[in-house]
Amino acid sequence: MQYSQKVLDHFMNPHIVGKIENPDAVATEGSPACGDQVSIYLKVEHETQIISDIKFQSYGCASNIATASIITDLAKGKTLEEAKKVTWKEAADALDGLPPVKMHCSVLAVDTLRKAIKNYELKNNLSTLDKFSKETVLEELKKVIYPKVGEDIITLKMVKYVGFDNGVVIIDLDIPKFDKYRDNVAEEIKEHLEHYQEIKDIKITM
Amino acid sequence: MGGSSISEEIEGFKKIIADTINTTASEIHFTTGGTSANNIAIKGFLSENAGRGTHIIISVIDYPDLLANAAFFEKSGFTVTYLQADRDGFVDLKQLQQAITSDTILFITTLVNHTVGTIQPIEKIKNILSKADHKIAVMVDACEAYGRIPIDVNSMGIDLMSISAHKIHGPQGVGALYKRKGIVIGPIKHGVARIDSFETGGINIASIAGFAKAVQLAFSDFKKHTEKIRELSDYLLSSIESKIPDTMLNGPRGLLRAPHNINVSFDYIEGEAIMVMMDLNGISVATGSACASQGLKANYVLMALGRNHEQSHGSIKFTLSRYNTKTEINIAVDKLKEIVQELRNRSPLYNKE
Repeated sequence: MQYSQKVLDHFMNPHIVGKIENPDAVATEGSPACGDQVSIYLKVEHETQIISDIKFQSYGCASNIATASIITDLAKGKTLEEAKKVTWKEAADALDGLPPVKMHCSVLAVDTLRKAIKNYELKNNLSTLDKFSKETVLEELKKVIYPKVGEDIITLKMVKYVGFDNGVVIIDLDIPKFDKYRDNVAEEIKEHLEHYQEIKDIKITM
Repeated sequence: MGGSSISEEIEGFKKIIADTINTTASEIHFTTGGTSANNIAIKGFLSENAGRGTHIIISVIDYPDLLANAAFFEKSGFTVTYLQADRDGFVDLKQLQQAITSDTILFITTLVNHTVGTIQPIEKIKNILSKADHKIAVMVDACEAYGRIPIDVNSMGIDLMSISAHKIHGPQGVGALYKRKGIVIGPIKHGVARIDSFETGGINIASIAGFAKAVQLAFSDFKKHTEKIRELSDYLLSSIESKIPDTMLNGPRGLLRAPHNINVSFDYIEGEAIMVMMDLNGISVATGSACASQGLKANYVLMALGRNHEQSHGSIKFTLSRYNTKTEINIAVDKLKEIVQELRNRSPLYNKE
């Protein structure tokens, strides 16, 4: 695996790893079964909405740890609104890039940060729960990375059809039959969707 | 060097290998590596013998070469029985017994499992297969076994076998196929027969010479070398188990495991991270984690042995050689202990209340 020196630096010596006692918000995303999980803890200055302290914990590979490290670096000192706008591409760029198969690590790190911010907003009545719809499914699919090129499956136009009816999500994917990432992409989609209570079944055709 | 003296040299190299597995030079064929030997053996045998039957038996934990070849023939009309394995990686002999039909022509196995080091009970397998009222050929991938455990193709009942030079400190890109006299295989690589009709075309004599030299060195004091490796791996395992909590050995303990392989899962952390940190400290190991695999999938051998995803992702394979020392093991385990603790400190799974 060819990692940049920055990835290796953050992996070997992450800047703010650990746990905050009595955090203002926390989020954990990913799953051990998939081999990566990140927790992010936040302390927020109430008046200014500035992230005054942030820490992460990570179960995963070198790039999982490095992306969690860079995202916490990037978010520290920013307002919630600013931190929300940090994208997975910016996080990857800040590490001088990631191998395409590892790009999903950056998505997970950003997703966890945004979830922590959302949890803070919910707790402080600054935001309400998003209503579930077909749009939610599309947003989730934008987080599924095709490992061969390191870009999401929506941008790559690999998703031919998305339907949501009566709790059943139907997704039609365009992916070559002998692609070694077929199973991985399908699993990633399921991982992103199955925690929604509104979804009873996920049908993927490809 | 002229053609005839080269032929003589090659005969000499074949003899060196033949002597180590109790066979004759005429039953050794040089190949461009273990994968080529596996392909020549399986494709050559099945295409030549399909008239006798079209059923083959293999296991779900075999080396990828073997499984890919079986799948290839399955697609073209062969029937394949995939034997399951128990939690230590031994193929299911009861299932083997039941799987045999009058149509079965080939049994395929990985003599020493490439992931967990399990030595398949080849004599028992031979006895089961010999009870059939027709000949079932035995094809063995011995790339992990050769030079690590004693191999006698006659007492073990092996008809076709692949071995690889680089696994015993020889050069990359050269291996050999053992083919028992009387077993007929067709050509799969059609072309000019320089030394035989299997690995056709130009051959790398320098690599073959290097292979033969590596064999001589490995077998110069086989018993002493393998005993030394086993002593080191026993020491590695006991050091890991005494110094690092929450680990699990994958594969059998003791003599039913090849001496050079130790495979351990570390709870709460992921193997690629361990591997990269070990590598940055100058220690090379392998992992069964999906994050380090082609296709981002958990290791299929570990999953077939009943490990869960976390245990597969957290697995590390150590491969030892006769050139390793006890001092190196001490350094490796001390580093490993530090690395495992560091990664656990960072892990949300370890820090759960």
